[in-house]
Parts: sequence; structure tokens; C-alpha cells
Amino acid sequence: MWRTFAYFISLLVILAFSQIQVQAQDTIPIPLKINIGLEVSGPVTYYTNKNILNAEGYISVDLNEKRSVILDAGYLNYKYSQYNYSYLNKGSFVRIGMDFNLLKPDKSQGRYWAGIGLRYGFSLFNSEVPIFAKLNYWGTTVSSISAKTDWAHFVEVSPGVRAEIFNHLSIGWSASLRMLIHTSTGKDLLPIYFPGFGNGTKRVSTALNYFIVWNIPYKKIKVILKKEVKEDTEDNGDINNNGTNNTNSDKQQGTGIRQ
Amino acid sequence: MRKYISESQLIIVPAMLLLLISCTPGSCFEETESYVKASFYDNVSKTLHTPDSLTLYGLSNDSMIYNKTTSIQPALIPLNSSTESCTFVIGINGASDTVEFQYNSFPHLISKECGYTFYHHLDTVLFKNHAIKGVYISNKTITNLNVENIRIFY
Repeated sequence: MWRTFAYFISLLVILAFSQIQVQAQDTIPIPLKINIGLEVSGPVTYYTNKNILNAEGYISVDLNEKRSVILDAGYLNYKYSQYNYSYLNKGSFVRIGMDFNLLKPDKSQGRYWAGIGLRYGFSLFNSEVPIFAKLNYWGTTVSSISAKTDWAHFVEVSPGVRAEIFNHLSIGWSASLRMLIHTSTGKDLLPIYFPGFGNGTKRVSTALNYFIVWNIPYKKIKVILKKEVKEDTEDNGDINNNGTNNTNSDKQQGTGIRQ
Repeated sequence: MRKYISESQLIIVPAMLLLLISCTPGSCFEETESYVKASFYDNVSKTLHTPDSLTLYGLSNDSMIYNKTTSIQPALIPLNSSTESCTFVIGINGASDTVEFQYNSFPHLISKECGYTFYHHLDTVLFKNHAIKGVYISNKTITNLNVENIRIFY
């Protein structure tokens, strides 16, 4: 469990501080922003199903044109019942991590984001089984499990996209793949559903989130666009199928570095 | 300036992902009962030996679990989760005995679809030494898994 956690943190640190080597020179201005996002599928779901209230939002700060740190928090009030039991779970969660924009700076221009997020999540919740019934050879046993406060932590990978549709306003979505590290409930009474994670009876859960994001620019940086130079072959010439020589064929690409 | 993420991509791609990840059936397909799994052994050779006929019912319950049933190996014995002990009348090849189980019960979540069951921690097994010559507890935790819990020597 701790090995997984340490590996995840190491991966975050390595990605955060890795640097791109510079080769050359065109620049492009990129606005760095503070982004405040609101998840919209939770309230929409609650409108149709009053048993699940999930409210969450995030704040992220762009560190540069590629990376931003993010703090995500939310609240869940979950009720479920079927013929043989009912279940309640209420609580809050936080997720912290980093988003990585995989678009090149000349394409993203600070307005478009397509990338991947890595998060560590912690959830604190109160769960209760007001009634459950078990029928067997000896008859029906009716019992309950009293309210108890528990916690759980997990890691998450969330690829997604965002696009600025109006000035300072973006929309986007992300798909989340979450892996449970540990829960204090013990293996016999795993949480059926808990804040920030979802279905706690399985080690892995998935989710899809839709966001409306308010973007507040706080700084503008210049990013140098790298010229990618095609490497020569051993005989200083790359002969293509037509027999023509392609040496020193430069191609402008948007890989960049800040100035 | 050309857009690199179109509005249609923003809608179509997550809709496809939603289809992929939301197809979980809501039915219970797992075993929900925690039986004592009792294997039958020959008391002389100490090898697995299926009784020719087996009869089993609860002492205060008229309903038969097995009624001169053949080829039962292992026998599945349901415990009463409302009490801390229960007694069964057992008939092995026509010879009768009683067997009493003493245990503690605790709730266990099987799955969201199936709900909760009771697991048991087996403390003691008592018998009258008529048909049964000995009982060995091989696994004290009674669950819904297919794992042997006791060996009955006859």
C-alpha cells in the first residue's frame, strides 16, 4: 500500500520538475491562469435521483504552460435501498494533484487543454446500515449496523479535455480511474459508495465528470517554440523511396520552454 | 484561429466513454449463504469417504436439509445467525447422532447487488459419539466461499 503511494508521489515530483531541452527560438505568449471549476453532473443527477447528492469543485493554478497544481473537494450524501437492506453514506473528500497539458503551446495557447491529471484523494465519511434482512433455513434474521465514521484514501488518473468557449469561461470533461489504497472500514463492511471514490466494494472505480470553469489570468509568460531538427543518417543523407536527398529538413513544432 | 478541440468532440467522446463504463448489471450472482462445509471421512482409513445416505435437520426445525440423500460430499450446514449455537440431528448410513455448533456471528457485505450476509467464527463442535467418531475443525471462519470447515469421521 505505502509502496503504491510512494510511487505515485515520486511520479508527481518527477513530472513536475522535469525540463525540456531547448534548441531554438520562436516565442509565443501564454497566459497562466487560476481556474475555478464546478462539477455539473452531480447536481443534474440529483435533480433526477434524490438519493445521490454529489457536489464538487476544484481550484487549480497554472505553474507553466504544461503543468498546474489542483485541489479538488466535495461532499456526498448517498442513500441506497433494495429488497434486503438499506445503506446511507455521508461525508466529504479532498483530492490533490497535478494536471499535465499534452497539447503543444502553439496549439493550446492557454485556451485549450487536453491532458491527464494525477491525484491523491482522502475521504472521511459516516456510513450506516439502518436495516438488513437475511433469510435462511432457520428463518429471517433482521439486523442493522450502527452509524460509524471511517476514512479511505486512493489515487486517481483522469484524462480529459477543456476548451475556452467564452472569455474566461471553459467547459470540459474528464474520465477518472481510481484505485483504492486503504479503507478503515475493514474487509467485512466495505463502503458500498463513499465520497470522492464511488463504489467502494471494488478496488477500482471509474467516473465521468463534466466541468464549467472560470479562468482568471494572473500572469503572461513567453514560451520558446522548439525547432525540431531531423537527425541525419550515418552517411549524412536520408534517401527516401523516390531517391531524393532529405538532409537538414527542418520542421517547425510547438514543443516549447518558458522565457 | 483554428480550434483544436471541437464542441462535437467535447460531447461525443465522453458519451462513448460513459457507455463503456456504465454497463454494470444489477443482479446478484454470488453465493449469499454461509454454510459450514463438512467433509466426511472414514474413521479407520482416515480418507475421504462419501456416506451411502445422509439425513440432516435442525433439532427445533422440522424441515429436512438432507433426507436419506446419496452422494453428498461435502454437506452444507446452515447456522442460525440469531443465536450463538444450534444443534442438528444427523443420520449417516442409518445411524443417528446429534451435532452442536457453538459460534459467533458477524455481518459481511457480499456486494452492492447481493447485500449483507452473516459470517461465523466457529468455537466448538459437540457430538454424541454414536454415528460420529470424531470431528476436526479445519477452518474456523464460516464464509460463503467454497472452503472446507470441518471433517466428520464416521
